[in-house]
Amino acid sequence: MGSRQILVVDDDAVTARFIASLLRENDFDVLVAEDGEHALDIVREHELAMVVCDLVMPYRDGYSVLRAIRQSEQLHDLPVLLLSMRDREEDIVRGLEEGADDYVIKPFNARELMARIRKILNHKRKVS
Amino acid sequence: MQQVLIGTILSISAVFMVLTILIVAHKAWREARNGMHGRRRKELEPKVLTWAHSDEKTVRKALDGQPSPSDLIVLEQILLDHIQRVRGIERERLATAMDQLGLVEEYLKGLESGRWWRRAESAEKLGLAASKRAIQPLSRALDDEMPEVRLRAAKALGQLGGKASARKLVRALNEPNRWSTIRVADILIGMGHEVIEAVIEAFPTLTREGQLAVLDIIGRIRPVSAGPWLIEKLYDRTTDVRARACHALGNIGDPNVAPELIAALRDPEWPVRAMAAKALGRVGAAEAIPQLTSSLRDQQWWVRHNAARALRAIGPAGLEALERLVADGDTFAREQAILILEEAGRMDERAGELVEAGSLRDAARSLLEKIVAGGTTGRLRVLAREHPVEEVRRELLAMLPEEVSS
Repeated sequence: MGSRQILVVDDDAVTARFIASLLRENDFDVLVAEDGEHALDIVREHELAMVVCDLVMPYRDGYSVLRAIRQSEQLHDLPVLLLSMRDREEDIVRGLEEGADDYVIKPFNARELMARIRKILNHKRKVS
Repeated sequence: MQQVLIGTILSISAVFMVLTILIVAHKAWREARNGMHGRRRKELEPKVLTWAHSDEKTVRKALDGQPSPSDLIVLEQILLDHIQRVRGIERERLATAMDQLGLVEEYLKGLESGRWWRRAESAEKLGLAASKRAIQPLSRALDDEMPEVRLRAAKALGQLGGKASARKLVRALNEPNRWSTIRVADILIGMGHEVIEAVIEAFPTLTREGQLAVLDIIGRIRPVSAGPWLIEKLYDRTTDVRARACHALGNIGDPNVAPELIAALRDPEWPVRAMAAKALGRVGAAEAIPQLTSSLRDQQWWVRHNAARALRAIGPAGLEALERLVADGDTFAREQAILILEEAGRMDERAGELVEAGSLRDAARSLLEKIVAGGTTGRLRVLAREHPVEEVRRELLAMLPEEVSS
């Protein structure tokens, strides 16, 4: 059985705690990073099932984290779901084109977010 | 004398000392309280969130009973923080928790406070708490004597959503002396499709400014269902109403309204004709090309300009219509057509085709010669100097009048 560990990356601690709580309620193990740099450190050190990543963050934004993951030989197929208040078409398209598995707009619907996460993980399981 | 002076200095020192002690004590008390609240938050937040994700009915059960007044302050902060960040069922459950803990009741009392800042704060929190019970009290707060309270009540109604809130807010569009129409309109726009019925219903009762705001609101929300109502407004007695109805139809972008917009191109008032032309571009109405072509000969610059832009927006067929206009007998139509063809990069494209074979080359040459004959040679002169293909530069130089090419 694969990893049940999900990394939540968000500089807004309240949002990060909400998502972490939601994931724990759904039997996932959760790691939290408050910026992109810290997130990449965790991604390299842990075997993760997926990353739920905010877009606008200090030091490294969500696009940059996503790009670093997609360019890595070991991590390029790690699922990434982007989460953002940016609801413009160009931001969503850019996120998906840069390799995000999904893009969810904040404020988000918790049950919809969980359904999307499960769908991504099921797809990953089938592919692997 | 000396004793009086010493006494005064000692008194002042004593006052300063007491003040310093009070300030330090207050700061220490605040820090201790914040620390205690922080620790309680770490304990209470997981319980609240676990409850929010569950199906359990009462939040008090998850909190092991009615919280203490101190815990209630912490819980209020937790709930206000999270409720702004989520939608759907979780948001509804957090709102229920606020109601069950008595916070909504407290805010409703706060709305009746004699202190305006308490009323404003209560209005704002009622919006976040999303309690439908608050609609009537917040509607009354729209008439508060303090503008800040009125504005926060309006925003709160916007957050609560629903047709009842929308109806109360639309009324504010009729009072421009008490409300910023733009702010109210923004709140209504933020509420989305659910306000459409309310704004259309209120339209006949609104002032002219209110009616124009309604047309803008519809144009921003873009409900296709409002199309037939907007078409009726194309025949309104007021020029501004007709013009903004065209604008709203263009924003909605439903191509089925093209025949009505084409008819509006013949409106006696130029602002309506200009907006109709712009709207036809937005809906991409290829069937409007003949009428838009005629509109390029309109007496008003804005109508000509919008018609030319609309032809460009329609795509290749519109651009071909513009190309046919470069030799038009009407100087203004010709100038607009050439301007837009240049903006669209069509002139550069045609110049590049001068080195192609056969009919493509002939068509390009014919068009560019017409532009030169019309006297608008600015872009062609630049291309004759800077085009990357030497043969194109040579062809253009040969085409341009002697004094320009030298």
